[in-house]
Amino acid sequence: MAMAGGYQVNLASQRQIGMGHTGTGLETGTSSIFFNPGAMSYLRQNGVTIGASGIISKIAYRAPEPGGATAEADNPLGTPFQVYGVYSISDKLKAGLGVYTPYGSTVNWGSEWNGRFGLNELSLEAIYIQPTVSYQVTDKIGIGVGFVYAIGGVNLQRSIPVQTANGEYGKAELDGNASGIGFNAGIFFKPSEKLSLGINYRSKVEMEVSDGDVSFTNIPGALSTRFPSGTQFDAKLPLPATLSLGVGFMPTEALTLALDISRVGWGAYKSLRFDYSQDVNGASYAENARNYEDAFIYRIGAEYKVGDALALRAGAYLDQTPVQSGYLTPETPDADSRGLSVGLGYKLSDNFSIDASFLYVNKKERTDASDKSGGIAGTYKSVAYIPGIGLNFTF
Amino acid sequence: MKNLFYKSGMLALVASVLLTSCDPEIDAPIVSAGQADFTKYVAVGNSLTAGYADGGLYLEGQLNSYPAILAQQFALAGGGEFTQPLFIEAQSNGSGYLKLTGFDAAGSPVIEPVKDKLAITSMGTDKKTPIYAEYLDEVNNLGVPGIKMVDVMTAGYGYNNPLGFNPYYERLLPKSLTAGALMPYVNKVASTDPSFFTMWLGNNDVLGFATSGGQAPISDADKFQTSLNAMVSTLTANDAEGAIINIPDVTGIPFFTTKATADLIARAAAETKLYIIAGTGEVREATPADYVLLTSTVGTPEAVGPATVPHGFSQFNPLGNGEVLDAAEVADVKAATTNFNGMLQAAAQAKNLAYVDMNAFFTSVQPHNGQPGLVINGVAYSPAFISGNLFSLDGVHLTPRGYAIVANEIIRNINLKYGAQVPTVDETKYRAVLFP
Repeated sequence: MAMAGGYQVNLASQRQIGMGHTGTGLETGTSSIFFNPGAMSYLRQNGVTIGASGIISKIAYRAPEPGGATAEADNPLGTPFQVYGVYSISDKLKAGLGVYTPYGSTVNWGSEWNGRFGLNELSLEAIYIQPTVSYQVTDKIGIGVGFVYAIGGVNLQRSIPVQTANGEYGKAELDGNASGIGFNAGIFFKPSEKLSLGINYRSKVEMEVSDGDVSFTNIPGALSTRFPSGTQFDAKLPLPATLSLGVGFMPTEALTLALDISRVGWGAYKSLRFDYSQDVNGASYAENARNYEDAFIYRIGAEYKVGDALALRAGAYLDQTPVQSGYLTPETPDADSRGLSVGLGYKLSDNFSIDASFLYVNKKERTDASDKSGGIAGTYKSVAYIPGIGLNFTF
Repeated sequence: MKNLFYKSGMLALVASVLLTSCDPEIDAPIVSAGQADFTKYVAVGNSLTAGYADGGLYLEGQLNSYPAILAQQFALAGGGEFTQPLFIEAQSNGSGYLKLTGFDAAGSPVIEPVKDKLAITSMGTDKKTPIYAEYLDEVNNLGVPGIKMVDVMTAGYGYNNPLGFNPYYERLLPKSLTAGALMPYVNKVASTDPSFFTMWLGNNDVLGFATSGGQAPISDADKFQTSLNAMVSTLTANDAEGAIINIPDVTGIPFFTTKATADLIARAAAETKLYIIAGTGEVREATPADYVLLTSTVGTPEAVGPATVPHGFSQFNPLGNGEVLDAAEVADVKAATTNFNGMLQAAAQAKNLAYVDMNAFFTSVQPHNGQPGLVINGVAYSPAFISGNLFSLDGVHLTPRGYAIVANEIIRNINLKYGAQVPTVDETKYRAVLFP
């Protein structure tokens, strides 16, 4: 499942995850492609980074009082990953390519719980492919911009409240591929050796699904014409813009402190709508309000270099939920979340280093009537454990 | 190497224990009976209480009766055993019931009776009432299909005799006159000595009139009051707590709304009008204030002289008095319902019992402004026939899901009255209408 607010996944670099996922105001190496393309121009070597995280997440559910029903989402392991490559065209001009996964969600409630007519399982993924250029205007200022081409897909399964003679419920599965475009731009300012600042804007990407497939199973024969086979759907899902400001403070050679504030433009997510190619149970579309609100994320992080090879990291963040009261859904049972991270980096040679990170995310327990979103009323509580590993090569 | 396996195995074990112990948890609400005592729960009432559905009483309906659901939930708060007069598996279809077998070309449901595995053992001495397999052990569910409030003091109400009797009560009584074959219902209730009860009686005192299109009488109000007094004083004789459930508006149920007169008029061919025989015997044009019954054969082609006309759409072939609850009869049934509910509420207040306003609840589930009146767990509910998920195929009684929703409404009222915290049930575990 998404472990940041909404369905955002902020896991773009194991080094930065260790530091509370700060990085907008830092030189983060190749991952500046994501955090701040303006800082990419400061790289002194060509480099390639690959990394991945494993999201082990669990969500507990309890029906509204005095209801006795409970459920737990048995979510499959989420594996966001990233690959960054940066090539130095000249001292001042760098080109890079990043492939990363800033949005996604996998949540599996199964087909037995009381909310199964809302959701059985959802899988949502987006992969951003971002060619990027960065130019160091002066010693103190770098600018950079990348074009984003996003590809992805959505798979949503839910039970339909019609029953066969055996009492089995029908099921609908919506499956489609999506794509969209956007950009990522940043300015990096380094007034002194001890201080750096950054501003980064990652634009909204509107993911569009066209001609996705709707398949129905277990529909009683008498109702088969109401749930026609061969139905297709169109849908749009906004991956919201994120504006970040970051500060880096390096009081000594060994110590780096970082602070980031991000504003995520979740307000773009107004409703979830599926338009069908033919009527499904008498309706040509299904739409439920989402009405997300823009939300802030506050992050702090630190790195301490213990000798030449080893770096220790820690960080924390607070991530506001974009989901307003009345709009909670089982697909994104979101709440304000707290993240605590630790990490370490180890330099095996001049050209090869390794980063490991561990992030613990705890979302506040949240009770909602879910009466405005077509959601499932009740209390939700999520936690996630996210180990990650990244490898860096320079040449 | 072995050591390495051992160590990594232990590490994995420790890690998994650590992660499992860190599963998110939500505190369970406290369960309590409050001031209520569910040690011995007894349900009294009519077909709704018995679990009657789809035009019959059968095992599945009994197992999903709202009293059975209540007892299951009461058991979480100190409630005891709850026995129902269940039909055995070999006779699980009980009285027989209706089953949906499909839709015809016009989209109307095709409904057929189930006739196998019945619990009918013989025919009554009146030569028309079937005798059902007896159940003589003491029961907690005293729901008797067909019983009216005004029947509760009638001796011989369940006695197999040539003048007619209630077979669902008959099966609960000993056959010998000396052993209690003539026992009035209220005496049977008295013998159970409950610590907690629910009483949902009175529906048939207006329903019989309504479903017969105004031909059967509405119960006499004085007799209703006397019978109610007898029931309540019997039930509370040993200071039992309980809940009295009132009578829903019968004109809000699918039996009266599915063949909505306004729709029939709107869909009629040009220049044709719908005619009815009113309760007064007068043949007149139908208006949307008249309710055509679900059992009416309105629209069926019938010969009228040399021509064939859809039944009802000619003043020479009007809908019969028994096919329509006309506007005046609707007013009568509404007035009687209000009157009886007033008595039920006063009785509950006098004995400080919970009063469940099921009338208001069923009014609240009517759709308004095109929106469903009730949505639970992503499923919309309405009193619509078949598609509304609440009502079974007879258009009067509920589906197991409908009974679960009713049980939850009763639980909420009991919790409120007695400071109890009895959990409601997950209604999605209970079925609605099954489709072929």
